Amino acid sequence: MSSILEMESVSKTYGKGHAAVQAVDQASMKIDPGEIVLVMGPSGSGKTTLLSIAGLLLKPTQGRLLINGESINGKSQRQMADLRLHTLGFIFQAYNLLSALSARENVEIVMSMAGKRGKAASQRTTEILEKLGLGSRMHHLPADLSGGEKQRVAIARALANDPQLILADEPTGNLDSKTGEEVMGLFCHGMGREQGRSMIIVTHNPEFERIADRVLWLEDGRLSEGNGRIQH
Amino acid sequence: MLKLAWRNLTNEPTRMAISVTGIALALVLILAIAGIFAGSEEFAVAYIKNEPAPIWLMQSGVANMHMSSSYISPELITEAEQIEGIKDITGVLYSGGNLESGEDSIIGYIIGLDPQAEIGGPWSLVEGRQNPERGEIIIDAELAKRLGVELGDEVSLFNTAHKIIGLSRGNFGIGGSLAFINKQALSEWMAVPPDAASFALVRPEEGGDIDALMGRMQSQLPDLNVMQQADFAASDIDLIRQMGVDIIRAMNIIAYIVGLLVIGLTIYTATLERSREYGMLKALGANNSRLAVVVLGQALISAALGILLGTGLAYVIAVLITRVSPDMLILIDPRYVLNQVPILTLVTGIAALLPASRIASLDPMIAFKA
Repeated sequence: MSSILEMESVSKTYGKGHAAVQAVDQASMKIDPGEIVLVMGPSGSGKTTLLSIAGLLLKPTQGRLLINGESINGKSQRQMADLRLHTLGFIFQAYNLLSALSARENVEIVMSMAGKRGKAASQRTTEILEKLGLGSRMHHLPADLSGGEKQRVAIARALANDPQLILADEPTGNLDSKTGEEVMGLFCHGMGREQGRSMIIVTHNPEFERIADRVLWLEDGRLSEGNGRIQH
Repeated sequence: MLKLAWRNLTNEPTRMAISVTGIALALVLILAIAGIFAGSEEFAVAYIKNEPAPIWLMQSGVANMHMSSSYISPELITEAEQIEGIKDITGVLYSGGNLESGEDSIIGYIIGLDPQAEIGGPWSLVEGRQNPERGEIIIDAELAKRLGVELGDEVSLFNTAHKIIGLSRGNFGIGGSLAFINKQALSEWMAVPPDAASFALVRPEEGGDIDALMGRMQSQLPDLNVMQQADFAASDIDLIRQMGVDIIRAMNIIAYIVGLLVIGLTIYTATLERSREYGMLKALGANNSRLAVVVLGQALISAALGILLGTGLAYVIAVLITRVSPDMLILIDPRYVLNQVPILTLVTGIAALLPASRIASLDPMIAFKA
């Protein structure tokens, strides 16, 4: 079975000359279908940069990135946007919901962007929101939702276009421990892992190790496979 | 995406109100200025349009009642009367003059009218009688109110007291007021023979061919210009438009700039405040053209609502102003309103460019910032 995402010696350098900062250094990883991979590491270690590269938001300075075995090198911005829309789902620490749209509309808009409209799209939205326990809150604006509800809407939005890979950045970072626990449970059950959906979760929360298949440690831009830390 | 544009607007009613009101006020400015000029035009040709004379005679080389001087000698009028197919000819004298009462003074367009004339006088008399004798005058009822005089009172014209014997309607405009006095009295002031005329109003025989009559008149009266009533009115409107076109254009440009700035700034600030949301949409896979639709949608919805509000306001203001100050006739032409729609749409599109370019340059990684 081919990997959904593969990074081959990927590096990212910001700036030039003496001011250059190596955010990611020769990182390699493979994400297989249905796999939950945790990326942990201290603040400033390059986790967000790594996630942005995996999310096709940032082009690496060196190395190769493959999605479903196909290199993204040479793809245009529009092609990358299409790949993000159809293949990837994003969950952000700050939820990033559209404040003017209801919970339901926040989910529908990404489906609409992917050309999914009408009754089928509406039914799917209802299904996802009900499954995530938002059946009675779907017509509320984000301002009227609790932090946990907002993050569940963000999860519903990430699932809307049935992506192969979900990228989550500190998904429980803004939640209290009880709500964080609930959201973490959703990553384990209810987000389609059983159907082969993979997830990369960047977090400081060690509780996530319980549901992860693998933990990667990132420090000073260097990624190490396994559960341990880089040995200096 | 248009739903998002609409919701972004309605979720912030204050900003939406500013944006819509801005474009509405810009349009009110455009329509009011154009309406005042249209009203002035209407007043300026009211005399020509309302007199029941399909053909008008004037001195050769003259084609306007305003800003021109026409003289028709008594001999030419007698000669014209001999032409076959004419029912009657009414010569009127026309001159400028100040109508004064106490400290008040109004520019007057004075028509000298023969007491026996069937036409050439005020077409809508609300009080008093027609056909002024020497020392008598007919003025507009609204002008009388403005001057604080009534029927039977006196106003001064050419430093001579004139007794008001009639009050008319529709003869008081922003540029001045039409008044009717005795023709012989006016001829003396103008130093022309009493049977001379500035313009002659021609009524053809009933059922006669007007074009054929005009042809005969033009060939037999080479020293006179023969014009159809509608052409004479159109010629005066053209003259007024030439005088006002630069002012209208300048005011319109100012109004367009006001509208552009209001829409542009409100949409731009709204875009700045939602940068993170737009960045997030980019991260999720929205391309720049999709996001430009949101910005353009917001701008166009604001403009559409502003055009509706502005048109409504302009009509209400026109009615109110004309009611309060009848001399200020504001005519709003629906065709002129429709002509503004594509221009304002273009202005709106330009206003959306800046916020759209702001979105285009947004880094989607903004979504990852906590």
